[in-house]
Amino acid sequence: MADSPEAIKKACKTYTAVFITLLFCTVLTVLVAKLEIFDVNERGFDAADAIIGLAIATFKASLVGFIFMHLNHEKKMIYLFFGMAIFFAVAMYAITYLAFEDPIQYLDFFGKKH
Amino acid sequence: MEIPYVIEPRKDTGLNNSKIGIWLFLASEVMLFGGLFSGYIFLRIYADYPWPERTLPVLPGLVNTFILIGSSVTVVFAWVALKLRNWKKFQMYMSITLICAAIFMGLKAGEYKAKFSHQAIRFNDFTVIEGHAYPQVAKGDHDAHSDKDEHGESEDSHKKGPKKNFNVSATSVQIDVNRLDDKYYETMGPQYEKGSFTLANELVLSNGTTHAKGTAISKELLDAAEVDFLHAIAVNSELNIWANKQAWKDVKQALPGKPYYAAEVKSLLSEKVAFYKGEKKDDYLSATPLLTFEPAGGHADISVDPYWGRPSNAKKGAETSLKLKDQTVITGVSGDSSMILAVDGIDFRHTVMEAEKRNIDPVEAINKSWILKDKAIRSLWDKQAVIIEKLKEKLEEEDKGHEPTELDLYRLGWKQIAGIQDVDIAELKALDYDGIAALFKGDTDGFFGANHYSVHYPKVTVPRERVRFESLFTPRWNTYYATYFTITGLHGLHVIAGALVLGYYLFRGRKMYETKPEWLANRVEVGGLFWHFVDLVWIFLFPLLYLM
Repeated sequence: MADSPEAIKKACKTYTAVFITLLFCTVLTVLVAKLEIFDVNERGFDAADAIIGLAIATFKASLVGFIFMHLNHEKKMIYLFFGMAIFFAVAMYAITYLAFEDPIQYLDFFGKKH
Repeated sequence: MEIPYVIEPRKDTGLNNSKIGIWLFLASEVMLFGGLFSGYIFLRIYADYPWPERTLPVLPGLVNTFILIGSSVTVVFAWVALKLRNWKKFQMYMSITLICAAIFMGLKAGEYKAKFSHQAIRFNDFTVIEGHAYPQVAKGDHDAHSDKDEHGESEDSHKKGPKKNFNVSATSVQIDVNRLDDKYYETMGPQYEKGSFTLANELVLSNGTTHAKGTAISKELLDAAEVDFLHAIAVNSELNIWANKQAWKDVKQALPGKPYYAAEVKSLLSEKVAFYKGEKKDDYLSATPLLTFEPAGGHADISVDPYWGRPSNAKKGAETSLKLKDQTVITGVSGDSSMILAVDGIDFRHTVMEAEKRNIDPVEAINKSWILKDKAIRSLWDKQAVIIEKLKEKLEEEDKGHEPTELDLYRLGWKQIAGIQDVDIAELKALDYDGIAALFKGDTDGFFGANHYSVHYPKVTVPRERVRFESLFTPRWNTYYATYFTITGLHGLHVIAGALVLGYYLFRGRKMYETKPEWLANRVEVGGLFWHFVDLVWIFLFPLLYLM
């Protein structure tokens, strides 16, 4: 992390550049969702829109994380915390997905016939 | 006590304690929001109704994104200012951050307010209409299907009053004094008193007081009956306990050593209990919790908030009974409980979904829907057909293989209605699709959604028996709004909490700045990390909720 006054002043330029990039990406997200020319697949919302939208959001989030939250030069322990958190968050998706393996969703679970 | 490792790193971790603390907290936050996001995604993927995608007004969300990103930068600059020992700049940047937080919450409040005053109705045929509900009016006959005067407003549009009460011409009211809810009675009581409800049968209390048939309903009377009922229960249960004790004594004497579950013990016990109860039968008090009242004129008008209870049959003129949540049963004939809605959204997607399930032609299902019997709505939908025709022409010309989406085909939103409702269908036919799309007014016209002050949307009177479900745009309406309010509400609380912490540094940090400036810089960095996380969550929320 920038600690000397010179390094900090230099980092300020990066912060401003990131700020502008974030604003640009936000506008881009809206344009991709709204404008027809960005409909790569079907007209309207589809999987491609979701992937592009979330990819831009992930890029923005990484900028915030790496630059504003100084994750680009952190100690190992912080990466460990953050990595574990992401792992467990993803695990939560997996656990939710297990609900679809639950036999209760089958129509004949309570003895009903199809 | 001196707190160790506030600024200097610990040897084992290489980090100071405050940083470890905030990152552990942020890790738990990642999992919390991760869980909520996963809930949202699975609710959406397996929703059994058309998901309300891209129906939120984008502009407030977009502005809020700019504001949060901006505040993320200013909080970094505030930290930089502290590192460079520039208090004035720190104050400036931190103030901007807090102002951003206030604007963010203000916009959020505006959005919520718009949702909480926006009504939706799902009909029995699964058509959904959205709009602004007006007070139910009793100005003569209200059979006019569409009730829009030349100014688009009726005189009583802005009067206050219930918007979706159930009206019943009651012939009797049965009150359970034991369950009677005081809060409900504050509203219902005056209605009973106004209808001159009186006791349908003589009421004799256990203390000998008699209230003759025809005694007027009053809270005092109901309270007296309740006290009497509770007293009777207490006395009777004491007698029961006494009878059981006596019976057990006898059983133990008669059948020593027999277990309680032996058949002969059971039968002797019940015999003995009956005997002792019979011995004291004169001491038992009789009291009923149910009191029936009848109106003096044979029937009286009662208006009930739907939250408290719904009638068995809401059709005007139908025999009905309505049970409030406090078990009061109102019997009578349903009155006019129609809702009046200025319609700013028509959505047939659910109708189509249900029609397809039943192998019915969706177009036929739409054409037969009740709402299209309304002239104004029919005219709007005819114009929609023109729009679709023009859209198909355009898509064919473009030749990209694009088809109109379900949203295009089956939904008319507030912008479209505002744009086309006063345009003649012949004029629409003369335009191409881009010309028509230009009529759809922009977001700025109604920043938080449909603006019922500047645009007079067509009014429709909806009989209640047509309504399958109605709700404001609250978590109750569907799982989308439930998750929308849960996640954005929780995020909003994070914004408030972050602003409080950062505000504390701004307004109470001067002393620390003068004595231990590096400590303050460290705290602002830690508070800033939380603030960036709040921004980070919003970065995902915005596209997920507003754009997809």
